[in-house]
Amino acid sequence: MTQLLQNIIDGLGRGSIYALLALGVAVVFGIMHLLNFAHGELITIPGYLTYWAFNHGWNWWTVVPLILVSAVGSSLLIERIAFSRVRGAKDFTMLLTSFGVHFIVSALFLLYVSASVKSIQRPGWAADTVALGSLRIEIFDLLVIGVTIVTLLATTWLLQRTMFGLSLRAAASDFEAARLMGVNSDSVIRGAFALSGFLAGIAGIFWLMRAGSVTPTAGIDPMLKGVLAALIGGLGSLRGAVVGGLVLGLAEVLLRAWLPEGIQNLTTGFVFVLIALLFIFKPGGLLAVPQVERV
Amino acid sequence: MKLRQLVGLFLALAMIATACGSGSDGDSDSTATDTGSSDTADTSADADEPAEPAAPAAGIDLDAIMGADLDNCAAAPSGDAIKVGMVMDFSEAAGFVDIPGSKLVPYVAELANCAGGINGQPVEVRVAEAGTDAALATQELIDWGAHFFVGPPFADATLPMQQTGDGQYAIFAAASTEPTLADADSNTFLVTFDDFGQSEASAEYALSQGLTRAIVFTEGEGVPYSGVNPDAFVAAFTAGGGEIVSTQTYAWFVDTDFSSQVNDIATVADGTEVVFSAAAAFQVTALRAQLEGQGLDGLTYMGTDAMDATGVQFETGGEGMIHTPHTIIAAGGANDMLFQQAIAAGVELDSLGFMPLYVDSMLLGIQGILDCGCTEPSGIAEAVKNISGFEGTSGTITYAGTNGIPDKAVPIAQVQGGENVLLTEIG
Repeated sequence: MTQLLQNIIDGLGRGSIYALLALGVAVVFGIMHLLNFAHGELITIPGYLTYWAFNHGWNWWTVVPLILVSAVGSSLLIERIAFSRVRGAKDFTMLLTSFGVHFIVSALFLLYVSASVKSIQRPGWAADTVALGSLRIEIFDLLVIGVTIVTLLATTWLLQRTMFGLSLRAAASDFEAARLMGVNSDSVIRGAFALSGFLAGIAGIFWLMRAGSVTPTAGIDPMLKGVLAALIGGLGSLRGAVVGGLVLGLAEVLLRAWLPEGIQNLTTGFVFVLIALLFIFKPGGLLAVPQVERV
Repeated sequence: MKLRQLVGLFLALAMIATACGSGSDGDSDSTATDTGSSDTADTSADADEPAEPAAPAAGIDLDAIMGADLDNCAAAPSGDAIKVGMVMDFSEAAGFVDIPGSKLVPYVAELANCAGGINGQPVEVRVAEAGTDAALATQELIDWGAHFFVGPPFADATLPMQQTGDGQYAIFAAASTEPTLADADSNTFLVTFDDFGQSEASAEYALSQGLTRAIVFTEGEGVPYSGVNPDAFVAAFTAGGGEIVSTQTYAWFVDTDFSSQVNDIATVADGTEVVFSAAAAFQVTALRAQLEGQGLDGLTYMGTDAMDATGVQFETGGEGMIHTPHTIIAAGGANDMLFQQAIAAGVELDSLGFMPLYVDSMLLGIQGILDCGCTEPSGIAEAVKNISGFEGTSGTITYAGTNGIPDKAVPIAQVQGGENVLLTEIG
């Protein structure tokens, strides 16, 4: 029982980061129907800036704002350079564009920075634990879960209680109708990318703290987790993204812990089997949103 | 229309990026080295069969090469060029070693030429990026007249190289420890110990230190590198009387959250174990932090050359970790002097512990030419097979009597004060 509880807490900690990543994916998908495979670059780019900052005497207190600002800036820049050119194009075109952005960003770091792993100093407290009965809970997990809850509440408030949120939800529901009703499409889309970047920035802080390193392809894993979590939860659903992230994190940790020894290295395979089964029975994900066919 | 514009833009950017990347390799103004990528125009190549060198020489004057002053060179060598072909993998998988290696080798060739060449012959180096077609890159270098090859560390590129060269060319997989890559019959050679060598040496060292309990991290039995190294460690450790108290799985180069594994380990470990894996430094330090967070403070961490490749000595949590680097770069030593000189000359170096392997790859091929007194690739390769006691920049290398995996001692190093310190050599 203790180990199960321990695993659940570990899974929630891991899943919270996935939830933040999935939220960022879902926000942009809701507006543009873009499944953004370049979302991981919003961790790679701040990751290299973090590496640079630590080499120039910065610490985590000063690096955190840098990560947030650079993630938002990168998201807006990518939107401006790449996605604004394919607005209104078919979904597949936008998907390919996002792949292109991912590969170009990776190649630029590979060619002009280094192919080597660049180390980032992890905060000393990250792996410290607090005892709760027989449980030993990582401070890192507690922090991630706490920050994720606050971020979700803030995002919900932003979307439900502000004019920007109203515009965003209107555009997500029916982009053309919202535009005809006076919603500024440029502002909404840029706002969605900024929000997506901010969420990726928060996730990136924790991802980089845990990884302690950055490489040109560092964005692939977080991108996959974010996209998978968004798919599990139901593409376009913000609540679904959160649920998807938590489910994915729990599935990874619980399967890893409870699969018989000898097949534990098949954990990722089993996770994908479960996802495939989910899509057989619930093709739209756990919290599917009605799809509006764009013309 | 938009799609076409976009695709055009991406292609243009990709081509610019590739061209710029190649340019960084080809900016040497030395006439003796040609380090452009495979798509760089050949300005110095002679596609005809290389001519026979004047006469075989006894050996290579490594001191003269390392000590050459590029501002004050000897008379330029005038003999027929020794042509070194480098097929390199610039992707992230191998780029961390192949990119700097492909810059250092031409630089050392320049030093050799500055020192009067090898037996009066200039050394030319040409780099071709393997990309997705190592066979094409190899063929290009064969057409150029390469005498032997320095290749990337993975079989997916080395095997096409073997096939393209009909197994006639000596291929040195410079940074590889993959045992299945070496095959003297196909003239493919490692330049360092293989995975069995390094992990068995680690097991031997652990046992010699009285460590008899081990926790092993693997990606799965038989998985190249991430599984083969733990397999070899376990076999040697248990054969020597050690006990494996826990075997854990993980994703190599990916996982940095080991919560599940740490929960398992906490139930069986008593804090006296050695934790062995082939993981990257950033993974082992993450694991260590989580294990220590669970109160397991007295564990000994041992790893492979992956720890050196990923800079364990620069990691905050790397202190005390033990691993098997290919070379120890001692401050003020010959390799250190070479690297400092190269960096001062604008050569971008990285993964320094691996760099002597690239230099030795070139020198071993040249030694083969000198030993056989010929320039036929098959003759050179045959001579390489018989090299014995070659004193290179990475240690003493012997191929005679091996299947292409050199008989070479394995350094056991420990991170002390942010530096790799040699504890002992095994083998």
